[in-house]
Amino acid sequence: MKHNSANCSTRRASCRCERRAGAALGAAILLALGGCSSIGAKPWERDLMAQKVMQLDAYPLESAMDQHIYFSKEGSSGGRTYAGGGCGCN
Amino acid sequence: MQLTRLNRGVQPALAAATASLLANCGAHAEDEAENAFVDSGLLFYQESDRVRAIEPNLNFNYDFGGGELLSLGFVADSVTGATPLGAVAAPVKQTFIRPISVKSNSSTQTVTSASGGATVVTIPPPPGSPAATIVAASTTVGANRLPLDQGFNDTRYAGTLGWVEPITPDLKLSLGGAYSSEQDYRSLSGNLGLAQDFNAHNTTVSLGVNYENDRSSPIGGTPTPFASMSGSWKNGNRSKDEINALVGLTQVMSRRWLTSFNYSYAWSNGYQTDPYKLVSVVDGTTGLPGDYLYENRPDKRRKQSVFWENRIHLPSDVVDVSMRYYWDDWSLRSFTIEGRYRFVFDGYYAEPLVRWYRQEAASFFRYYLVQSQALPQYASADTRLGNFDATTAGVKFGLQLDKSSELNLRVAYYLQQGDNHPAGAVGQLKNQNLFPDLDAVSVVVGYSFAF
Repeated sequence: MKHNSANCSTRRASCRCERRAGAALGAAILLALGGCSSIGAKPWERDLMAQKVMQLDAYPLESAMDQHIYFSKEGSSGGRTYAGGGCGCN
Repeated sequence: MQLTRLNRGVQPALAAATASLLANCGAHAEDEAENAFVDSGLLFYQESDRVRAIEPNLNFNYDFGGGELLSLGFVADSVTGATPLGAVAAPVKQTFIRPISVKSNSSTQTVTSASGGATVVTIPPPPGSPAATIVAASTTVGANRLPLDQGFNDTRYAGTLGWVEPITPDLKLSLGGAYSSEQDYRSLSGNLGLAQDFNAHNTTVSLGVNYENDRSSPIGGTPTPFASMSGSWKNGNRSKDEINALVGLTQVMSRRWLTSFNYSYAWSNGYQTDPYKLVSVVDGTTGLPGDYLYENRPDKRRKQSVFWENRIHLPSDVVDVSMRYYWDDWSLRSFTIEGRYRFVFDGYYAEPLVRWYRQEAASFFRYYLVQSQALPQYASADTRLGNFDATTAGVKFGLQLDKSSELNLRVAYYLQQGDNHPAGAVGQLKNQNLFPDLDAVSVVVGYSFAF
């Protein structure tokens, strides 16, 4: 029982720490975006962004195959997209 | 421009909506409009002495104009080979039994044949039971060998459907669904997403929700948690529901730099135990196995992750770096970093890639249980829930056949290494490798074209 309480308390501290880390990272990104007026590209500067290689999901089949492999071999999933696996492989 | 919009996948409909918003304001690089885009891929996956998988994938996207985009996808996944049972190795022969199929006619218990290193045994239902005959595989594992399920064989078929609908020039709605079916598992999901563009299309905020319902129908039934291994009839099907929310921020930082940040939250409730995995119960002094119990995992899980990706277009080459931190209330944690560098040549490219993954075990992960100790509330010896590092290294080559078609080949090597001699191992287990390395080679051939 004592062991369980210690575990819970460690876990709560860990959760608080992770929440704070996430909030700090989010705040830093928002501040960086809001505080810098020169970020972004003008409409006539979009030539590179329009290329396939600059799309975040340029190769969705490859991403899906990778996700499937990692989902079936590791304990965590998601991040880039939803965390569900859609298969009974894990 | 049409081509740029069409280079989207079916799977993450939300990502498609986000990306298409950013791409809408791109340069008008393409002068011919092509409305249909086909993306195909074939995956070969082979582990050393374990699983082999072949997975053909096909996606079809059609642009109806005005930003309306239909996506259809199909996957077939054939898996054969051997997978760990969860039990530990021992200096003696060990015999395991696993149901493999069901027969409608009853028969007496007989040894009928051998298959995949296992002996096939038919077990009739109890007298008066309406259940059918069960066919089980009995496998004997040699001394000091990792117990593997040798007869692993399954085929999965999955389909996806997606639709992107512009609400305003800066706001897109995406809807999607997926269905997946295999011999002992069925998954059904639906998703809804919104992507809003700001700052002259330099910023996109996206929100998405996915609901998934999975049904597990193990061959021979679902074992009672912590029941002893047997080839007899077990319980009925189990299901699981999962809701996943994802918030994303994508920002064009400059002409050359794109950054994206996601936060994901998932809540799942229902059967999350692997019905085929065992946990050895060993003697506290000798470490010899005395029993094998079916594992037991919690039926609730809350998963969270933060993901950050940066893509930078150098004068000619392109670099991509992404990171993810994952945590859940099973106390499983992981950190992933992945990098790709594309060397761009005239009409073709070469892209080395590296991925590194570190995982901290779930709180209920155990290599084994000890006879003299009380059963914990949950336990699993599935090393996928254990402590390990994994590294992937590979290279991709792509050939631009013409303006709208590409042929590519990717070869990658995956190595997973855990704690193979954990501290505190009892008796003979000190001499056993409790977490053998897992290595695999994957080859992906891809071909895409627009018309």
